[in-house]
Amino acid sequence: MNGRRIATVVLVAAALVGLGFLAARSLDLMPEQASTRAVLVDQLFRWLLGVATVIFLIVQGGLLYAVIRFRRRPGDESDGPPIHGNARLEIVWTLIPAVIVALIAFYSFRVLAASEEPEDSPLVVEVSARQFTWQFHYPEAGITSAELHLPVGRQVRFEITSDDVIHSFWIPEFRVKRDATPGQVAELLVTPSQIGRFAIRCAELCGPGHATMTSEVVVDSPADFAAWLAGQRAPAASGDPAQAARASFDRYGCYGCHTLADAQASGSVGPVLDGIGQTAATRVEGLQAQEYLRQSILEPGAFVVPGYADGLMPSNLGERMTPEEIDTLVAYLLSQ
Amino acid sequence: MPKPSLAGRLPSWTRYLWWNTDHKVIGLQYIVTTFIFFLLGGLMAMLIRAELLRPGFDLMNGAEYDRLFTNHGSVMLFLWIIPVLAGFGNYLIPLMIGARDMAFPRLNALSFWLIPPAGLLMLASFFVGGAEAGWTAYVPLSIRGPDGQTLWAISVVILGMSSILGAINFVTTVFTMRAEGMTIWRLPLFVWGILATSLLVLTATPVLAAGLILVAMDRLFGTLFFSVAAGGDPVLWQNIFWFYSHPAVYIMVLPAMGIISEVIPVFARKPLFGYKPIAMSSMAISVLGLTVWAHHMFTSGMDPRLRIPYMISSMVIAVPTGVKFFSWLATMWDGKLRINTPMLFAMGFMSLFVIGGITGIFLASIPIDLHVHDSYFVVAHLHYVLFGGSVSAVYAGLYYWFPKITGRMYDERLGIVHFVLNFLGTSLAYLPQFEAGLLGMPRRVADYADQFTTLNALSSVGAFLLGISTLPFLYNAIVSWATGPKAAANPWRALTLEWTTSSPPPAENFEDIPVVSSGPYDFGQTPAVSPAATPAGGS
Repeated sequence: MNGRRIATVVLVAAALVGLGFLAARSLDLMPEQASTRAVLVDQLFRWLLGVATVIFLIVQGGLLYAVIRFRRRPGDESDGPPIHGNARLEIVWTLIPAVIVALIAFYSFRVLAASEEPEDSPLVVEVSARQFTWQFHYPEAGITSAELHLPVGRQVRFEITSDDVIHSFWIPEFRVKRDATPGQVAELLVTPSQIGRFAIRCAELCGPGHATMTSEVVVDSPADFAAWLAGQRAPAASGDPAQAARASFDRYGCYGCHTLADAQASGSVGPVLDGIGQTAATRVEGLQAQEYLRQSILEPGAFVVPGYADGLMPSNLGERMTPEEIDTLVAYLLSQ
Repeated sequence: MPKPSLAGRLPSWTRYLWWNTDHKVIGLQYIVTTFIFFLLGGLMAMLIRAELLRPGFDLMNGAEYDRLFTNHGSVMLFLWIIPVLAGFGNYLIPLMIGARDMAFPRLNALSFWLIPPAGLLMLASFFVGGAEAGWTAYVPLSIRGPDGQTLWAISVVILGMSSILGAINFVTTVFTMRAEGMTIWRLPLFVWGILATSLLVLTATPVLAAGLILVAMDRLFGTLFFSVAAGGDPVLWQNIFWFYSHPAVYIMVLPAMGIISEVIPVFARKPLFGYKPIAMSSMAISVLGLTVWAHHMFTSGMDPRLRIPYMISSMVIAVPTGVKFFSWLATMWDGKLRINTPMLFAMGFMSLFVIGGITGIFLASIPIDLHVHDSYFVVAHLHYVLFGGSVSAVYAGLYYWFPKITGRMYDERLGIVHFVLNFLGTSLAYLPQFEAGLLGMPRRVADYADQFTTLNALSSVGAFLLGISTLPFLYNAIVSWATGPKAAANPWRALTLEWTTSSPPPAENFEDIPVVSSGPYDFGQTPAVSPAATPAGGS
């Protein structure tokens, strides 16, 4: 290699690395950072984006340069020089990628270890997934909720499982997900770092309601979180039966599949429940509205509204709900 | 031997509709049949993108959407990319190694004739409830699903059988039927690609078939292989499935890379840079490819310590892949590039596949994967690999061998229009999906949050452009096949053996079996000669 050629190679390499830095610094492709893990993951992501930019530019630039510079001149029917290879060059372009890959793997390992570091006394939240809802149980406080509340700054240990098929518990702003697999309890450590409301989404195909299997995580200040816990612990029977019925509607996951405006539910997998007070009596001959609703909750397979699939609605609600809860819910639905 | 009485009475093209043991007939049967499935799978993609044009359930409900993308994925992988590359293999392998046919011609015909019934079986699943569990068919969802899922499983088992029979035939043919002088180190790189792929098929496909039979038995006979209540393990299926399905990516990519290695030296008019490293990198990818499957399971609660080795093996695949890319670039360096349609698609392959390759490194990095796994980032990645990559290479191959197969030249201007539409459509369809995934959009959803609307609308427009891009190709292929100018034996002045015989080749391929005395890409020697015979003058 002569001096001029070396200078060109150095210049091009410097320009590529510069562009890599620029891409890593200036491209904001990730959502808000709402956990300590998100900060670590995003650093790794930016670094990798820089490396990726350099590789991307080498290949695209090489292709463009070849098209412009090495295009056949009109009338030239001759072949190019008979070069079959170059051992030194081939060793270089095997070794350099190998080193880059080793660095990426090492850095990834470091970030993984740091983001899964357990802290003392984490808040334990048991997550159960079912088609197509999430339920959160706080064993220390003894409460169960359809909405996830977390205090900012304290590590959470999610213990995730599923009652039916595989789901995946994903909070994009936390930069992490974990599958909810029936028969297994998967652990996930994460420390929320940002007060706010963030989406929870199911990431693993779980059936026709997969797209709408969403919920929200509310990250509170420690004081707000304590207040929320206290509010949940207080007896739900505040005297308003509609309030109690709406709580059941949430707790037992009805909202995951049914639409009911009064309960702010917009599921699309099961029949719409708006106006069910009127239509319930017309569904099955010989069954009055109240009887029909009770049967639909206790034995969902007995009659399936045409156009909807059998076997999706849980058949064990009779065991899970108290008789009062069922009565209250039926009365509430009749009023809709 | 065909019965002369029958052959005498029917027009010659009808032999493509019947049982025939000529590898060229079978190769073309494969290519045309699978292209029809490609159009069907593409139509499903158009419906999917129409649904995703705006948020909300606009055209269909969740179950219908699940059926659509399950069949889109299955048709594209099992009835298009894998068999179309086998079709190229069938047509080209005997010609490239100087043989009169494949080693087992009747087995070869059988491998093709398993495909149409299996394809019909898969489509029939729509009429019995449909297959709704995705092409990955994760248990327990796939065990609970409607009857269509059983038909789907049987169809995939049959297609796997076809693939295994084909692989046995390829390996035997390459090892035992080569012409005199066709040493291992003179094999064209497409042959190396098919060889590496066939070894993967023989190792991994039987495992998928076994797994699918277990699922079918759980569904039909009440066995409990995957039942949680009975102590079965749903994650077992993921291990079985990905032990096949990750290598399947290389099954879909290695022959495609082989096509690229054929096209680039011919149109750069230079020897392939680093023949042996490229051949060996195919074998390396094939062996390494068997050790990476659990990178699809980082979120599944597998033993956390096992994640690290899978991350490393997955990333190491980048090294042999890089060897190929740098070698192709070096082949073009100082060459005399003819930028026509096959070369454009080969360069398009490099330009698009590299994006799929780089984003594969992001996915192998466990902390990033725990965020983007099962998101649209993965959808974009896999389409860059399989559409930007494999399908671009298939198009490069279709244009490159069109004169050989049909005996006629295609229209260059229409080819370039096709390339431009295809390249723009691919970029517009898949680039926005990376960002949608990073921002938090899960895959396999018919409805999405409003924040993803713009990205999805762009993606849908790109997909529709891709749909339109097939029209100039179809027009070009059909009209040129019927009325295009006659092609010479060797219009590209290539040096591999398929160009030493007439276009299209006669029955049994060669008048005299060639004797090979030089490599497949020895361009730049003066005077340029083909290894066995003097090439007919090129354009």
